[in-house]
Amino acid sequence: MTTLKEKLIAPVAEEEATVPNNKITVVGVGQVGMACAINKLEGEMMDLQYGSLFLQTPKIVADKDYSVTANSKVVVVTAGVSQQEEESRLNLVQRNVNVFKFIIPQILKYSPDCIIIVVSNPVDILTDVTWKLSGLPKHRVIGSGCNLDSARFCYLTAEKLGTHPSSCHGWILGEHGDSSVAVWSGVNVAGEVHKMVVESAYEVIRLKGYTNWAIGLSVADLIESMLKNLSRIHPVSTMVKGIYGIENEVFLNLPCLLNAQGLTSVINQKLKDDEVAQLKKSANTLWDIQKDLKDL
Amino acid sequence: MSTVKEQLIEKLIEEDEDSQRKITVVGIGAVGMACAISILLKDLADELVLVDVAADKLKGEMMDLQHGSLFFSTSKITSGKDYSVSANSKIVIVTAGARQQEGETRLALVQRNVAIMKSIIPPIVRCSPDCKILVVSNPVDILTYVVWKISGLPATCVIGSGCNLDSARFRYLIGEKLGVHPTSCHGWIIGEHGDSSVPLWSGVNVAGVALKTLDPKLGTDSDKENWKNIHQQVIQSAYEIIKLKGYTSWAIGLSVMDLVGSILKNLRRVHPVSTMVKGLYGIKEELFLSIPCVLGRNGVSDVVKINLNPEEEALFKKSAETLLNIQKDLKF
Repeated sequence: MTTLKEKLIAPVAEEEATVPNNKITVVGVGQVGMACAINKLEGEMMDLQYGSLFLQTPKIVADKDYSVTANSKVVVVTAGVSQQEEESRLNLVQRNVNVFKFIIPQILKYSPDCIIIVVSNPVDILTDVTWKLSGLPKHRVIGSGCNLDSARFCYLTAEKLGTHPSSCHGWILGEHGDSSVAVWSGVNVAGEVHKMVVESAYEVIRLKGYTNWAIGLSVADLIESMLKNLSRIHPVSTMVKGIYGIENEVFLNLPCLLNAQGLTSVINQKLKDDEVAQLKKSANTLWDIQKDLKDL
Repeated sequence: MSTVKEQLIEKLIEEDEDSQRKITVVGIGAVGMACAISILLKDLADELVLVDVAADKLKGEMMDLQHGSLFFSTSKITSGKDYSVSANSKIVIVTAGARQQEGETRLALVQRNVAIMKSIIPPIVRCSPDCKILVVSNPVDILTYVVWKISGLPATCVIGSGCNLDSARFRYLIGEKLGVHPTSCHGWIIGEHGDSSVPLWSGVNVAGVALKTLDPKLGTDSDKENWKNIHQQVIQSAYEIIKLKGYTSWAIGLSVMDLVGSILKNLRRVHPVSTMVKGLYGIKEELFLSIPCVLGRNGVSDVVKINLNPEEEALFKKSAETLLNIQKDLKF
């Protein structure tokens, strides 16, 4: 007895389970609290699926089992524990290491050829943790880092000048956070705007509890460069040992070329002495924490 | 002493501050923000305004969107508790109000949300007398009627997001069953955006092939493939998603973006949205229900006269009765 589908549609080719070309996985749920999270996961998936008429992503899937992530081109890691009151940064990082020890091998098991974008904070350290846990070559592990800071910088600079952010070029490099470095020839404006960039992130958190829109757009921007093989340059977190005289294996933000293979080049910016000093100082701060991490 | 800006940039003419495609979103809960981000990602507005009563969250959301400015083309994003910031909007999207709790119907929200509309609609209209108001808050059909009454605007300018979402969900599910993209599956759900919505099975088609000609039992209880269940899933979908994640946001945000696109760009696409249906299908009262409407710059410029079969017409009238029962007791 033929189904309606069979009456309507005559297949011309065997439907193969083809490997998707542009599959993206977002890992946003940690091991802790999985029970409540499962429902939220399914709810979010359904809500997105019901928008399919308006989208061009024909397959939206969610699961706590990593097998659904198989053959992903890019995996975005936003999972992580949040800082407890008065918790030290080392402790926070150690707790996140324990979460990543579960997540990263699962990701690699099903998508051995993927590129991982780490978003969870502290991103430079966690990108290093991801790199070590994954065993991936360094061009396939990227920290989203300062792509967002630089976008904020461009926005704030553009506001000051009355132009569109895309016409303002500024680079925030180094450590993603309070000690990032603004590199721009218009030093006076840059210094003031840079301070606003650092403060603005805290302010959004204070006002609405978290940030999400801008970081989401920033990550999409990075993914676009890779999936469309654009070879655009973005300030993202990469392994900087051997650059600017840095001796330890740490991840810091530098201008990097992103394309279909991942992070394939680092741009050699001529930095001033104080900027290089700041980078080295950040490298030491990060190494101080990383060296005490257990179970890596 | 000249500033960096003065040294860098030579002004030739004063900046034109008047926006041509200003959109205001009232209410910055999950739905309002989903509408906002969808509109930004589709580059529909040259100015986006957020309005709400929660001052801190409002500022935080505005800043978070502004920080993404590099990645889209809406050059002005503002916010405020006072409606003066919304002046001269082309479209005002109303998402403010109480939302369904787990297990609660949309109709249960009515009295609370009528009170809210009474306070927000007059300043909206004062500040943007020529706008189109797109009502999203539930129960949307009743609230669109309420907003129309309070606003004093022509009925063509007050539009309820209505069954645009139901039909999108319907087409998604049909697409899943057939292995075809939703945009290639055509199907309309009209009537109440809610439990009494009406699926027009006779019109469901792919490439012009009406599925009902392939299976006359389509959508009935005796249909072995149980296509009727798809409509049930549409009705239950909101309840289910709310149970799982607490609220719905993404799909409604995209649906609103779809409607905004048609209005702002004067596309004259046909959407099932909530409009004044007095005089149609034997309805004698002033009532808003979703029927296929042509949407353009002027709002609802035309409605499509669908031939409902007797069963569909009965269901549509039942939908009307369900709403009238609640509307008649409203005081505002």
